[in-house]
Amino acid sequence: MATRLIVNGIDKAFDDFQALSNVSFTIEPGQFVTLLGPSGCGKTTLLRVIAGFLEPDQGEIFFGDQVMNEVPPNKRNTAMCFQSYALFPHKTVYENINFGLRMRKIKVEEQEKRVREVMEMVDLVGLEHRKPYELSGGQQQRVALARAIIVRPEILLFDEPLSNLDAKLREKVRVDIRNIQRSLGITTVYVTHDQAEALAISDVVIAMNKGKIVQKSDPKTIYNHPSTKFVADFIGSANIISGTCLEAAGSTAVVNTSLGILQVQNTGLIQGDTIFLCIRPEDIVPDVSENVLPDQNVLTGEVLNAVYMGSSLDLFIRMDTQHIVRASVAKDTWVSEGSQIRFIVHPDKICIMKG
Amino acid sequence: MKRRKFEWGYLLLIPGVGYIMFFVLASLYIMFAQSFGFYNYTGTSEFSLQFWQHVFSRTFFDDLWFSFRTALLTALISIIICYPLSLILQRIPGRKTFLSILKIPMFVPALVASFLIVNIIDYHGVINMILEKLRLIDEPLRLRNDAAGIGALSVQIWKNVPFQMIIMYSAIEAIRKDVRDAAANLGANRFSILKEIIIPITLPSALVAVIMVFVRTFNDFAISKTAGPYYPTSISNLMYLHAYTFADWNTAACIGVMMMITSIAFVSFYSYLSKKIGN
Ligand SMILES: Nc1ncnc2c1ncn2[C@@H]1O[C@H](COP(=O)(O)OP(=O)(O)OP(=O)(O)O)[C@@H](O)[C@H]1O
Ligand SMILES: [Mg+2]
Repeated sequence: MATRLIVNGIDKAFDDFQALSNVSFTIEPGQFVTLLGPSGCGKTTLLRVIAGFLEPDQGEIFFGDQVMNEVPPNKRNTAMCFQSYALFPHKTVYENINFGLRMRKIKVEEQEKRVREVMEMVDLVGLEHRKPYELSGGQQQRVALARAIIVRPEILLFDEPLSNLDAKLREKVRVDIRNIQRSLGITTVYVTHDQAEALAISDVVIAMNKGKIVQKSDPKTIYNHPSTKFVADFIGSANIISGTCLEAAGSTAVVNTSLGILQVQNTGLIQGDTIFLCIRPEDIVPDVSENVLPDQNVLTGEVLNAVYMGSSLDLFIRMDTQHIVRASVAKDTWVSEGSQIRFIVHPDKICIMKG
Repeated sequence: MKRRKFEWGYLLLIPGVGYIMFFVLASLYIMFAQSFGFYNYTGTSEFSLQFWQHVFSRTFFDDLWFSFRTALLTALISIIICYPLSLILQRIPGRKTFLSILKIPMFVPALVASFLIVNIIDYHGVINMILEKLRLIDEPLRLRNDAAGIGALSVQIWKNVPFQMIIMYSAIEAIRKDVRDAAANLGANRFSILKEIIIPITLPSALVAVIMVFVRTFNDFAISKTAGPYYPTSISNLMYLHAYTFADWNTAACIGVMMMITSIAFVSFYSYLSKKIGN
């Protein structure tokens, strides 16, 4: 029953601004995919093209094996949760949520049952008879969310549906969305700014930048093996440094970087290659032992700042080369600002990216 | 309950509000007083109901009915024309130009408009000329100053459609595209979007447009004088006749009071309706 979504070679320009260029991907039936990217990179535009509000200049949208380009939005059987909420201002919360069911001519008893369910899920019980202008921003957002989820379409499109909720509620609703989506097997595209959210709930993450798809991978891969500097930087925090390959033989390579000479995994490097390296802050381990293993990268620097983050302690370390590195260490590590620190980076933990 | 402190800032309103209120209240007072025989310029000033007796005559009721009917028909026919027109204009290219052209009648003074249109619908006017040339009629039709008041009605509609257009066009334009998209996304076809979204959201504006045109037209003088029938005529025209032709200001004042009452009744009816729709 679930539907495969194929986006094939989509171009979309506004006047002479290219909002989407050659966007292609496939989402398998029932998959939950997040679109992640900076503001203005074309996420909303892409959702609007999929929903049929915008006609692409080039390319096709398929639901299953059916081309959807000529199908009007009301016949597409998608449901979109708008970034702007787009609630019907003259209708009550109940009428807003119920709208899709009414348009689909669902039986009245069934309508009532489903509205009650979904209102409980998004924690809106008691507000049935309010008008949108009588709701807080977060409540309005939940109405928008409920209004989309309730219709159980072939394809669900979420445009930052939780951005206005507090952390607790966001986590709860996020899990609820995921459960509904799983149990009904609805193919879902979910736009978010929040990379932690993206990693937490997705089967697949698609990173976008300037109207192009940069990487499409499962959460683990995209975090551990970002394919470009942009992805490494955008998803999670990362120390990104440039380097030149000095020597590549067997399974390791030696790279001259702004942190010093580092050993890395050889991913087919050739001597003289200029590359970028990504080191995640949590992969920088303070070294307290006396004996250093030969295959480790051992570095020293001065702790400029130690910032307590709750679950970890973040250190900003100035290397001898003046380069500043961010490390995320156990929260009970004892370091003082201004002291020298020695730390280890395992070669496996250094991700190599071209350009 | 706490007593509210006197807000000195209100004093700043005096120059503007005071000026307006002075003339409104003063003229209302004089009008009322005159309608009961005071401030009589031609006879003795004393309390009298005779002017009210003058008013409630056949002529008055015919004229009142004429003004009322013309106003209501103008308001309703104009909105029937301009609602779909505003909807269509939203989606055609070059709508800015169309809108500007459609606004022209608004800036033409009523009297000038009347003269222009009268030239077209006159006994020897353009329409009769064309109809005769086409041999559709044997002799010219009486379109101007016709007894049914169709001439006046046409001028009124010509003048008021653009006025309502401006209200309706911006009301429809103010509905965010996202909201219409959301309705379509949830399965609403064009007709449902119109019925469920656009009409309910713009209904209060349509009401305003109808009431405003009604009151404007009801109180009209120039158009009914030039293009309307000789009898019955508009209530403003009747007031003018009493004041300037018969030099009977007291009866004119009675008519003025009646016009005020009708307008106020209509505006109250409007606020009652809009409250009802709001809930
Ligand atoms: N109707 C339009 N006319 C002109 N430019 C547009 C239009 N809609 C979007 N754009 C432009 O296209 C680009 C992509 O917009 P889009 O709304 O898709 O961004 P986004 O990725 O959703 O950003 P955000 O995260 O801020 O919501 C932006 O630069 C925007 O200015
Ligand atoms: Mg957006």
